[in-house]
Amino acid sequence: MNLRDRLTGARLAFAGLVLIMVLLPSLATAFFVNFVMTQTLILGLAAATIVFLAKYGGMTSLAQLLMFGIAGFMFGNAALAGGARGLNLGWHPWAAVGFALLVTTVAAFVLGAIASRTTGIYFLMLTLVYGVIGYFVFAQIVEISGPGGITSIQRPDLLGPPIRLYYAGLLLSVLAYLGFRAVRRTAFGLALQGVRDDPVRMASLGFNVALHRTLAFTMAGFVAGLAGLLNVWWNGQIDPASISIGPTLILLIIAVIGGISSLEGAWLGAFVYVLVFTYLRDLPLVDRIGITEARFNTVIGVIVLAIMVLSPEGLTGIGQRLRRRLRRRVAAEAAPTAGDSLPVHTTQKELGGTRP
Amino acid sequence: MASVVQVRAVTVAFGGLRALRGIDLDIAQGERVAVIGPNGAGKTTLFNVIAGDIAPTSGAVVIRGQDCTYRPSRHRPRLGLARTYQKARAFAGLTVRENIYLALAGHRGRHRALWQSPTDHRMRDEAAEVASRVWLASQLDEVAGELAHGQRRQLELAMAIATRPDVMLLDEPASGLSRGERERLVELLESFDDQLTLLVIEHDMDVAFRIAQRVVVMADGEQVMAGSPEQVRSDPHVHQIYLGTEAAV
Repeated sequence: MNLRDRLTGARLAFAGLVLIMVLLPSLATAFFVNFVMTQTLILGLAAATIVFLAKYGGMTSLAQLLMFGIAGFMFGNAALAGGARGLNLGWHPWAAVGFALLVTTVAAFVLGAIASRTTGIYFLMLTLVYGVIGYFVFAQIVEISGPGGITSIQRPDLLGPPIRLYYAGLLLSVLAYLGFRAVRRTAFGLALQGVRDDPVRMASLGFNVALHRTLAFTMAGFVAGLAGLLNVWWNGQIDPASISIGPTLILLIIAVIGGISSLEGAWLGAFVYVLVFTYLRDLPLVDRIGITEARFNTVIGVIVLAIMVLSPEGLTGIGQRLRRRLRRRVAAEAAPTAGDSLPVHTTQKELGGTRP
Repeated sequence: MASVVQVRAVTVAFGGLRALRGIDLDIAQGERVAVIGPNGAGKTTLFNVIAGDIAPTSGAVVIRGQDCTYRPSRHRPRLGLARTYQKARAFAGLTVRENIYLALAGHRGRHRALWQSPTDHRMRDEAAEVASRVWLASQLDEVAGELAHGQRRQLELAMAIATRPDVMLLDEPASGLSRGERERLVELLESFDDQLTLLVIEHDMDVAFRIAQRVVVMADGEQVMAGSPEQVRSDPHVHQIYLGTEAAV
């Protein structure tokens, strides 16, 4: 395959988007970059793990925010020195990063090994149970979560200025996006999609279905852990309420807004969520029609409902549909009018389902 | 000749329903056996037990001398056993090539090479060769979920062939195929190596009797009789089972 073949429209669009994101700090305000976009990248990275598991493994997980939280809590416990809340291990920040990722990955492996025995709604419910148990573990064992959370968490010196955290989020998001897409083309990724389509058939072909599910869950847990680290560096604190059932569902909603069968959708959903969360209160008349900050989740609920009705594949699904319609229109205009013959164009109808 | 598959007094109960009642079956290497019987006779349940998809309530399954009764189905390919399903179970979201690749990889333990690209030339060539054997060469890059019913059955067969098995269980391979496709299927089955053991469930008697050396007749979870195609064809009991006549028993 030569360079011209590799430069597809989608790849060029991706490269262009990354370029814009790299240049964004010189184009937009510091608030937009350090608040809106950094948060978008962090939540998008975490939501991408939900999409990865759902799209390639057929597993809709509600435990990804728990992994996100475990990494944050472990970093806080390991990095903070005496006087702060938590275990106060006082380790070097990068040692704390390694520790946080190790604990998160091991937790993901163990929880994944148990959850891999279930499918469909049972998997969803089991991972919801993980989220609830995780919340209570951190809420009740204050030795590892501090009374009211762990505060004053400093990021490593390398990521000191907020702009560097933005670039770290961008780098990890790009790596995770390309990594998840690359996994799809490996033997493991192909087997994972086979497990998604028909686990019984995969077992009859000699594959260890539970192991594949467990490894995918572990991989997603590791990436969610990276997002959790970025989050704790961005927030400077973490408390059990941040991994309770509400935020757990918010992460799923972010994935649904973008489109749960589209990796790009994770970041798109996060962007929409953060935009609404940040700017809704500034819109004129919003207060007068009763949309206050306390009713913010109702607004998000209405948005999700509207998107689900318009396109179960989320915003990326709407985008794909518009693109197909445009392509058909262009093709129709370009087609020569051939005498009396009836023009027939290629038509395509997708009846839901996950397509690679 | 030594038995490659032995089924010993296998009983399967689903609650109060006994789908299999003490089935005994010995299949020699290279033997071609057809299992026939009316719907609900327990044929597919027998396949599921041999393939490890369900564990029997009692009894034993021995494959190539190893007791596999309670071993999960994923161990069967290592013993040289491959199967197809009554309802085609190709991976709907993957292409024909990728489906065959998974069969090749599972059989060889290549799935352990987790990060390897599945697109190396040798595997591509093998997948293409297997696809051409079941007349799917021109559909290699089509998504399996978009294939016609008959083509999905061909893909099922391709995935079984790809594992280069010693024992192949085919559950209604001719179902949904046109007359011409059935003819080609019989030719394909007859072209297999003599050492390949075939156990086939088939409702099309013409296909079953042409490929089988021995026919096992089942009804109500029991083995009613077993014999050569000629013996089964002329047996009044078999006629009664299939046609419900008052033939003398």
